[in-house]
Amino acid sequence: MSVPDYMQCAEDHQTLLVVVQPVGIVSEENFFRIYKRICSVSQISVRDSQRVLYIRYRHHYPPENNEWGDFQTHRKVVGLITITDCFSAKDWPQTFEKFHVQKEIYGSTLYDSRLFVFGLQGEIVEQPRTDVAFYPNYEDCQTVEKRIEDFIESLFIVLESKRLDRATDKSGDKIPLLCVPFEKKDFVGLDTDSRHYKKRCQGRMRKHVGDLCLQAGMLQDSLVHYHMSVELLRSVNDFLWLGAALEGLCSASVIYHYPGGTGGKSGARRFQGSTLPAEAANRHRPGALTTNGINPDTSTEIGRAKNCLSPEDIIDKYKEAISYYSKYKNAGVIELEACIKAVRVLAIQKRSMEASEFLQNAVYINLRQLSEEEKIQRYSILSELYELIGFHRKSAFFKRVAAMQCVAPSIAEPGWRACYKLLLETLPGYSLSLDPKDFSRGTHRGWAAVQMRLLHELVYASRRMGNPALSVRHLSFLLQTMLDFLSDQEKKDVAQSLENYTSKCPGTMEPIALPGGLTLPPVPFTKLPIVRHVKLLNLPASLRPHKMKSLLGQNVSTKSPFIYSPIIAHNRGEERNKKIDFQWVQGDVCEVQLMVYNPMPFELRVENMGLLTSGVEFESLPAALSLPAESGLYPVTLVGVPQTTGTITVNGYHTTVFGVFSDCLLDNLPGIKTSGSTVEVIPALPRLQISTSLPRSAHSLQPSSGDEISTNVSVQLYNGESQQLIIKLENIGMEPLEKLEVTSKVLTTKDGISVSGFPLSSPFRQVVRPRVEGKPVNPPESNKAGDYSHVKTLEAVLNFKYSGGPGHTEGYYRNLSLGLHVEVEPSVFFTRVSTLPATSTRQCHLLLDVFNSTEHELTVSTRSSEALILHAGECQRMAIQVDKFNFESFPESPGEKGQFANPKQLEEERREARGLEIHSKLGICWRIPSLKRSGEASVEGLLNQLVLEHLQLAPLQWDVLVDGQPCDREAVAACQVGDPVRLEVRLTNRSPRSVGPFALTVVPFQDHQNGVHNYDLHDTVSFVGSSTFYLDAVQPSGQSACLGALLFLYTGDFFLHIRFHEDSTSKELPPSWFCLPSVHVCALEAQA
Amino acid sequence: MAVCIAVIAKENYPLYIRSTPTENELKFHYMVHTSLDVVDEKISAMGKALVDQRELYLGLLYPTEDYKVYGYVTNSKVKFVMVVDSSNTALRDNEIRSMFRKLHNSYTDVMCNPFYNPGDRIQAFDNMVTSMMIQVC
Repeated sequence: MSVPDYMQCAEDHQTLLVVVQPVGIVSEENFFRIYKRICSVSQISVRDSQRVLYIRYRHHYPPENNEWGDFQTHRKVVGLITITDCFSAKDWPQTFEKFHVQKEIYGSTLYDSRLFVFGLQGEIVEQPRTDVAFYPNYEDCQTVEKRIEDFIESLFIVLESKRLDRATDKSGDKIPLLCVPFEKKDFVGLDTDSRHYKKRCQGRMRKHVGDLCLQAGMLQDSLVHYHMSVELLRSVNDFLWLGAALEGLCSASVIYHYPGGTGGKSGARRFQGSTLPAEAANRHRPGALTTNGINPDTSTEIGRAKNCLSPEDIIDKYKEAISYYSKYKNAGVIELEACIKAVRVLAIQKRSMEASEFLQNAVYINLRQLSEEEKIQRYSILSELYELIGFHRKSAFFKRVAAMQCVAPSIAEPGWRACYKLLLETLPGYSLSLDPKDFSRGTHRGWAAVQMRLLHELVYASRRMGNPALSVRHLSFLLQTMLDFLSDQEKKDVAQSLENYTSKCPGTMEPIALPGGLTLPPVPFTKLPIVRHVKLLNLPASLRPHKMKSLLGQNVSTKSPFIYSPIIAHNRGEERNKKIDFQWVQGDVCEVQLMVYNPMPFELRVENMGLLTSGVEFESLPAALSLPAESGLYPVTLVGVPQTTGTITVNGYHTTVFGVFSDCLLDNLPGIKTSGSTVEVIPALPRLQISTSLPRSAHSLQPSSGDEISTNVSVQLYNGESQQLIIKLENIGMEPLEKLEVTSKVLTTKDGISVSGFPLSSPFRQVVRPRVEGKPVNPPESNKAGDYSHVKTLEAVLNFKYSGGPGHTEGYYRNLSLGLHVEVEPSVFFTRVSTLPATSTRQCHLLLDVFNSTEHELTVSTRSSEALILHAGECQRMAIQVDKFNFESFPESPGEKGQFANPKQLEEERREARGLEIHSKLGICWRIPSLKRSGEASVEGLLNQLVLEHLQLAPLQWDVLVDGQPCDREAVAACQVGDPVRLEVRLTNRSPRSVGPFALTVVPFQDHQNGVHNYDLHDTVSFVGSSTFYLDAVQPSGQSACLGALLFLYTGDFFLHIRFHEDSTSKELPPSWFCLPSVHVCALEAQA
Repeated sequence: MAVCIAVIAKENYPLYIRSTPTENELKFHYMVHTSLDVVDEKISAMGKALVDQRELYLGLLYPTEDYKVYGYVTNSKVKFVMVVDSSNTALRDNEIRSMFRKLHNSYTDVMCNPFYNPGDRIQAFDNMVTSMMIQVC
């Protein structure tokens, strides 16, 4: 006997074995249909008694096992049912012959047999036969069950007769020695008359009778027989049969104690009515054992239940029996089956530890070379039994071994499907679920080494099964959940093979349903790369939308009548958790920054990385990135364009890594830091792009007001240099620009820099040209050389506020700022300023000490004078002849009229205006020929009061006319000797008061050019009339004139000095007001 | 003498496992993993006994063809499993006990380390384990 029945259980000992087999060609479907119906008749209550017969049907039974039928009668095939198709009477004899051949196989042990013929009709059918039943077809056979019941009753009759026959063997008769097949040769030539031999025969027969009793439903009797048999056999050391007797005892006791059965699924026994076998066995059955010749005393035993083993004893006896079996190599199957039976009992008793010992023993029982299929069966059953006793890990271990056996290299056609199925069944044993969500919380808690192995096997099996989608899923799962446990090399290998698989079948986010009802959830790669931070980025400062202030005010007022209410703040508290307080703009690219890192030891290529959003239609613009091996935190910016308005929520991101698509939701990511993921999208706004004629600079302004400057222009200028800056604004958005507002702001004018050209106007033009000038202003106290090299900076901001499109109607605008950064280097300085009177009263000489503080040669020129060349660091004096200024004629500044400015301010303004006037008059320019740069130089700040006074035109303007010709400066008036020369003195009053009257005396003199002035000219010059002139009082802006005449008597150069009479000049008027031009007259020979 | 020593957390995942480098490491993983069935069974059986009388040493968990697997469980349900070569008959129960006690002491030391995070894999254990694995033979 070599084929173990792994499904055996203790209660099988009370069953009768019936083999059901097809004969000839019977379709499997038909056969099993009938087989099922036959199997339903598994227990029969025997007529006239309360005994129950149990039948075990098999459609396959190895005949060599049948040979052990004497050893344990439930192994004996006592009934044979054959099923056959027969459609014509012609075939009938042949069919019947086959039936007989079939009978021969189990012939020696059969009590009875039946033949079920399907399809045959005709006269053969008419003949009533007990052993053959005819049915027209497989549908029309209602009497099958009835036939089986009859059959079983006939079996019972034979069984009962055999039992009685064996039991009533006269003690004097020779009891035949029952033996198992391998013993037969051992007993050849043994002394059959010895006591020892007889006892052995008796013991074995007792055991046999016990088996028969058990089968015949006489539990108590069987117990008694077994007990007696144990005693007999123990005395003769017949260990194999002693084991069998002990096992029989155990089986009967198990049947008594556990009427529910121990066999698990097959053991769900049905009991007829409330009659439990235990009860039934306890009942007195008159005449049951009256004719028992071996021991007539058995019936007299009182308290039969005591023959029954206690649950603990059952195990002890099993152990004993197994230890006896183990002495015989040929009884391996018996031992194995006994172990299994004991385990089932122990499982019911919940004694897992002992059960595991039995199982452990069963593992070591070496049967003959097992076929691969048998090995699989063996491992599977071991797994099932371990599961039964709650050893899930051990069960998983054996199931895995069974799975591996399915695909052993020795098998020609490996059963990858079966292997995969078995492997899946081991998952719970290794506490492995295939849902990655179970692994996302906290650190991995599991036996990573074995789990990884299992996953690898699943991957391989599914690949060999020809289901690449499954392999990809399993491999993704492996990579995702076991990442921490993979070595660097393994990481590489897994990634490599994953890429190989996905090249044929990309990984998806769809759950995969398995035939077994299991669903494999998708595995998003949340660890490839690992995301630590998610931050929604505000738009760049230039594109950031702002709410119009007035509209914002309205909004607040509609919500609540209060300026501040704690209730509102409270309500917003919850939203604030997630909602971010900036806005995105429809149609504009928005950014989300992720801080990621690559845990892999090689460069990780992440493709198609984009955002997953909800709430707003969003066009994600996926990015591809390549992360260096084991990178630190690495910023990645994902971008997209919201297409509609509303509230957008960033739920996560999607990636493609190693060909696997992943949707990673932020909620499922452990340890992620996010500062909110919801943001409002406002309607579209136009977009302005700014470009300037000057290159952009990296230097960024940081104004204190908090505005961010989008574009910066930096320029280096020399003091006084001008630079034109062209700013071009271009609307690159989709919305029309409807409003543009330009403002400017000078941030720093420290170090005394003034700017001209600001502010701007013309806000509606597309192109605005502001002019920026840094003008040098020399503080009076900075007359030290060290200060000249000081570089000064000027910073200013130009703001362009614009709006348009739907965003404009919603009250949003954008602000574009241009930062200007000017570095002003010193050019020329005037270290000193003084004046010298010129020959003309209307003019004077301005003396400037010019210092070149640049490192280049420089020329300084004015409107009127020649260029002056200055070397680097050189200081020279230059004189400029200037017309005096009439400052009083300046228009009053508008500020003076509009508001009550304080006098100091007024004075300041006036002074500034004067400065400007002087500056423009002078027009001092410098040029650096080597750099081809030029600029202006200003003297404004240098002009002190004294200098100013000198430069100022007196308010009383005196004009002297000779012969009607104005006479001034060097101009020489010519006249003839003897002719009177008219002399007119005119006064124009520009002062705000009336002046005069004045008396003037004309004193002629001759300059001998040697420092001697000859005033004694009474003989040469004579006055026509008085030499004294009188001027009446002159009202403001009035004019007055007085006339006189001179007569030159000799030729020569004469000068006229016009003097005021001391008493006539008003004391309160400054002397500089009375500055009359001198007159030069040249008297010539009278013409003939 | 021991061929494999493992420390297993309360939640039945390995905190530490080391086996003789000459053997297939995975084999011992399986061996120790399946031994947990027995450990669980023994602990649940012990649960019925009085807590203070509990014996930490679980004894032989199960023998295999080549090895014997012994178990030990601390009061905090941390398990120690030791696999010894079954050919090594010199090893008595008492020696196994003392080895476990040593292991337990080392484990306590590891726990006392303020830089150790309970539940993490144990790193600083090798010296002691190596000495236990080489010893005798």
